[in-house]
Amino acid sequence: MRTKSEKRFDWILTILLLVLSVFFLFPVVWMLANSFKTDAAITADMNTIAAFIPPVPGGGFFENYISILTNTNFLRYMLNTLFYAAILILCGIVVNGLAGYALAKIRFPFRERWVLLILLLQIVPMETIITIHFLMIAKVGLLNTVIGYILPMIVNPFNIFLFRQVFISLPDDVYEAAQLDFCSPVKYFFTMVLPMSKTVVATVSVFTFLNVWNDYLWPSLVFTSSDLLTAQIGLNSITSNDNTTMGQTLAVITMVTIPVIIIYSLFSKQIVEGVTSTGSKEG
Amino acid sequence: MSFIELKHINKKYENAERNSVTDFTLSIEEKEFIAFVGPSGCGKSTTLRMIAGFEDITGGDLYIDGVRVNETAPRDRGIAMVFQNYALYPHMTVEKNIAYGLMNMKVPAGEIKKKVDWAVKILGLEEFRYRKPKNLSGGQRQRVALGRAIVKNQKVFLMDEPLSNLDAKLRVSMRNEISRLHRELGTTTIYVTHDQVEAMTMADRIVIMKEGVMQQVGRPMELYEHPVNKFVAGFIGSPQMNFYPVVLEDNLLKFADGSRIAMPDVMLERLGDRRGEMIMGIRGEDIKLDEQNMELYQKDRQHAVVENTEVMGNENNLYFTFGGSLTVARVSKYEISQIGDAIDFVFSPLKMHFFDKDTEESILK
Repeated sequence: MRTKSEKRFDWILTILLLVLSVFFLFPVVWMLANSFKTDAAITADMNTIAAFIPPVPGGGFFENYISILTNTNFLRYMLNTLFYAAILILCGIVVNGLAGYALAKIRFPFRERWVLLILLLQIVPMETIITIHFLMIAKVGLLNTVIGYILPMIVNPFNIFLFRQVFISLPDDVYEAAQLDFCSPVKYFFTMVLPMSKTVVATVSVFTFLNVWNDYLWPSLVFTSSDLLTAQIGLNSITSNDNTTMGQTLAVITMVTIPVIIIYSLFSKQIVEGVTSTGSKEG
Repeated sequence: MSFIELKHINKKYENAERNSVTDFTLSIEEKEFIAFVGPSGCGKSTTLRMIAGFEDITGGDLYIDGVRVNETAPRDRGIAMVFQNYALYPHMTVEKNIAYGLMNMKVPAGEIKKKVDWAVKILGLEEFRYRKPKNLSGGQRQRVALGRAIVKNQKVFLMDEPLSNLDAKLRVSMRNEISRLHRELGTTTIYVTHDQVEAMTMADRIVIMKEGVMQQVGRPMELYEHPVNKFVAGFIGSPQMNFYPVVLEDNLLKFADGSRIAMPDVMLERLGDRRGEMIMGIRGEDIKLDEQNMELYQKDRQHAVVENTEVMGNENNLYFTFGGSLTVARVSKYEISQIGDAIDFVFSPLKMHFFDKDTEESILK
């Protein structure tokens, strides 16, 4: 049972965290409220509490959003990004999952060293190897193609490590039982291992989605065709255009931010479980 | 050739100093229920896993139904297995768990349904058929594991300590259930357990193992009454057999504390010309406190003071020191003694066992 002083500490901590979260929410609320306003209204409300209050819904409420979606390719960029994310999630689960499974369950020489090596790869920043990626993709003639964008992003050392840590705790006798149930190793991976590891699959999917959604550098190098651009590049090109109003800029930023917030809110439990369970060996 | 033949099977793990299983030879007949029993680390599960194909056989030959299967994949050996931790598929319902193997065998859907219906009925799982394993009790989970094994019509059932995770009461009922299933299906069964009661109550024959070596194989009562060595004698039976270091001089058995018993001619005959130091063993129920036996063996009446009692309900266990060793006597519930009571008792001389003091092998002929 918790003592009185422990309970008091919990209360203080909760209030402190609430105040902090409100503090961090201010810019988001400001962005959301002003994305529905005209530039004149934004300037007028500046430095007042009205800057955090959206206008009353009525005619022209969604004007900034409508003009962005109709006058630019932003919707296309968003759909592109969703498409890339979907492919990368699928490929990432298969490739990183299989690698994680091998490192967790298959005995081969220097297995633990391989795990260490993969972990070491994780500390190499993407920016340091992006030139090599670019040169390789250019050499095989895949610049400005979806495959060229996706290929270097499939393998992710951190995801391999996450998968491995979860797969280690899967009981071996389930695999043995499946063998006696005439289940092939590949079928076992897809019909047993992945469904039994839903949490880590969800975690990896969310991380992959966020990676793709927030990535700017790699797509800006690979893509030159405007048909293939991603949301972040779209955001940059729209907001740096002189004709874009402040309200439109905030509307674009809102549209880029909202999916991330939704994904985090929906999957926060899985993300926490997925990351924390990687230290567990409980079967 | 028998249905399952294990010929000089050896198992040595990489980097291990000694064999986990050494020269294991056994013939198992069709429809037989055989139990491998022994303490932890005796190699019983390793042997079972070699039969299943989950462990490589280092040396020797394994035949199932006349075919050498040393290099055959587990799925092609015609076996079904029940695991200690059930090994159910956690994301599938009871029905799917049972049907999964059949689906992979490409059995027609109608037949799968018929078989699953039969299995859930025979195992009393009808009301749980759409539940997932996490919503089942230990006993129910074990029944699902049994269901998964029985629907596939395999030649051999392998069971690796299937009841060890269940509580005592459930273990008894599952014991009966497994025996009933074996009677009804008649499938050759190899059952691994460390619980000698399970082995004694269920098996047609028992294999006792110690440190990877088979000690004795035989029918339960054969092992109980004619153990080949001190290990088997001590392992089978509860409470454990009492052992005493003794010296046999002429027809007198001398204990460490100076007590003596005159040996009957029948036992002397069975001992041949063996005399001198040896180990005597006697089971708790062969230490008698009743008047009839006391009169019968009047001259060899012994005395002790009760140090502890265990009231079991149907019988009592009395603990006392005799011949320099802690002794347990299993007496009827009507022979009530309290701690500190002085008691008289006799050994049933014909029920004594004798073992070589060095090799611990039985020396009775």
